[in-house]
Amino acid sequence: MAAKKLRRAQLSQELCERLNRCQITTCKDFLCLSLLELMKVTGQSYYEVQKLLCKVSRACAPTMQTAYEMKLRKSVNPSSAFLSTTLYCLDRVLHGGVPCGSLTEITSPPGCGKTQFCIMLSVLATLPVSMGGLDGSVIYIDTESAFSAERLIEIAGNKFPAFFDSDEKLFCMTRNIHLYRELTCCSVLKRIMSLEEEIISKKVKLIIIDSVASVVRKEFDTKLQGNLAERSNFLTRGASMLKYLAEEFSIPVILTNQITTSLSNGPAIQADLVSPADDLSLSE
Amino acid sequence: MQREVGSLPLAPGLRARLAAAGFQTAQELLETGPCGLSKEIGISKEEALEALQLVRQECHGDAARTAGGSGTTRKFTALELLEEEQAQGFIITFCSALDNMLGGGVQLTKITEICGAPGVGKTQLCMQLAVDVQIPECFGGVAGEAVFIDTEGSFMVDRVVDIAAACVHHCQLIAEAQQEEDHLKALETFSLESILSHIYYFRCRDYIELLAQVYLLPEFLSEHSKVRLVVIDGIAFPFRHDFEDLSLRTRLLNGLAQQLIIIANDHKAAVVLTNQMTTRIGQSQSTLVPALGESWGHAATVRLIFHWDNSQRLATLYKSPSQKEATIPYHITPHGFRDVQPPAVTPNAEGTEMNPRKRPRREEEKQ
Repeated sequence: MAAKKLRRAQLSQELCERLNRCQITTCKDFLCLSLLELMKVTGQSYYEVQKLLCKVSRACAPTMQTAYEMKLRKSVNPSSAFLSTTLYCLDRVLHGGVPCGSLTEITSPPGCGKTQFCIMLSVLATLPVSMGGLDGSVIYIDTESAFSAERLIEIAGNKFPAFFDSDEKLFCMTRNIHLYRELTCCSVLKRIMSLEEEIISKKVKLIIIDSVASVVRKEFDTKLQGNLAERSNFLTRGASMLKYLAEEFSIPVILTNQITTSLSNGPAIQADLVSPADDLSLSE
Repeated sequence: MQREVGSLPLAPGLRARLAAAGFQTAQELLETGPCGLSKEIGISKEEALEALQLVRQECHGDAARTAGGSGTTRKFTALELLEEEQAQGFIITFCSALDNMLGGGVQLTKITEICGAPGVGKTQLCMQLAVDVQIPECFGGVAGEAVFIDTEGSFMVDRVVDIAAACVHHCQLIAEAQQEEDHLKALETFSLESILSHIYYFRCRDYIELLAQVYLLPEFLSEHSKVRLVVIDGIAFPFRHDFEDLSLRTRLLNGLAQQLIIIANDHKAAVVLTNQMTTRIGQSQSTLVPALGESWGHAATVRLIFHWDNSQRLATLYKSPSQKEATIPYHITPHGFRDVQPPAVTPNAEGTEMNPRKRPRREEEKQ
């Protein structure tokens, strides 16, 4: 939205050319300038510039919906609002299962079963809707090389023996799970940014990133100057892209995180990664 | 009429030409007329006419202002302000301790900022306020509508439904206890559907969409004149990443703050912002402070900081022009934002409970 060219904001041709000469081509450049600067570059009067500002804003601004419309849209198709985890107690606490359209984070010390849970959810997502699944493909971004295809087939065969009664059905399911092995932060971010087209072409209904913590902790040593800011930059960019994908396509996104020890006398707290609460404000 | 040409809101090129031609005051321009002006400066007659109309409009506006009419600058005596403030409503939060600490609730025409760590209840309070602003006047509310600008995607409609249902139920209890005509009439229009239909939701994905939306807000508020609350949930999130140029960020934030103040004043609305916390690393220890830096601290009139103390949620009034600093505990229940020990829910107590929280309105003052 921000990179929208001014041409498409319905400004006149000559105005766009004039702004082009000052290197103002996108709505972002236009809206970042103050009123006086805009008067200088467009050569128009104060009131005219205010009207232009409203025009460009209208091209960028989000559309309005009332809370009532949102509720109606949700109640039209209630079953598609969650991915049931088939664990009765967990589903009850989550009010239905893993919610579609938002990010869910799974955290634990090592060995508790995060990757197993993710593998099981990938099987569930490929099941047809009548069996509680989402009838779609899964994108699995693996940063720890912990994904095991044999375990996947074992889970599928044992949990739903009636459904996966032939090898054919198992292979069909595995063909729907797209695995990406990314080992650096940069490649993870690039992969997240490229997901939009894949979701549409492959009819993806679930995104799993296992795990965010391992790449980040490998590359960013927070004791070094400047690393904290870069780390939260990477995380917020990834998070906002994932939120956009989750909301746009109404699919669940699952992230796994690790546990770290906070060096106070409290119990171990989780590595506060996807919601970076710490950020150096000294540079202001 | 003695206004200088340089201070008129004309196009800069035109102003430069007028200065070069030797024009100094607006009076000179008006005396010359469009044809004379176009010949002297070398612009077309239509452009000269446009410029003169603008000048005339400006001078007219000036005259109206000096005569004491309503314009962009208004003069008040402190007594008039006092009367206006006392007549103003507050948006209650259903947590009486918080309302008392704030002096009645969230004040209209002021910017209130809520800072806190993730998960402490900022969005919950925003959703509660979006429902509470719609409480009819006979129940002690301001009977307004709400604009909710979401930058983090944490708005959950189902939660708003729960909060709204609890609020309607609360009002129904009062109406049953007091059995007054206008209470029952107000309840007819105060239903779940009407509450949800009057929350206007905007989802802004980055700071450009947020800026664009705030530029368009005055127009939106003029069309929907009953809006009394503007919530921006997550003012920090879009500004904390992808910003190499920090001075640009400060400039944009300051501009945003100024526009919000203008909106709050012109439309008699309360503006509520939520902010994140960041770590300031000091010499010997690090503390949690509100994000976006020191200069942003001046933007809000009232600042609340939500934090944890073991497992109890606390709210601290950090900055306020009229109330003293205090810390109170609060709870998030299935019905929304509440006190830690809810007072006894007897029908008689309900009625008197809602009104003493706010200062009496002019019409209801006891003689």
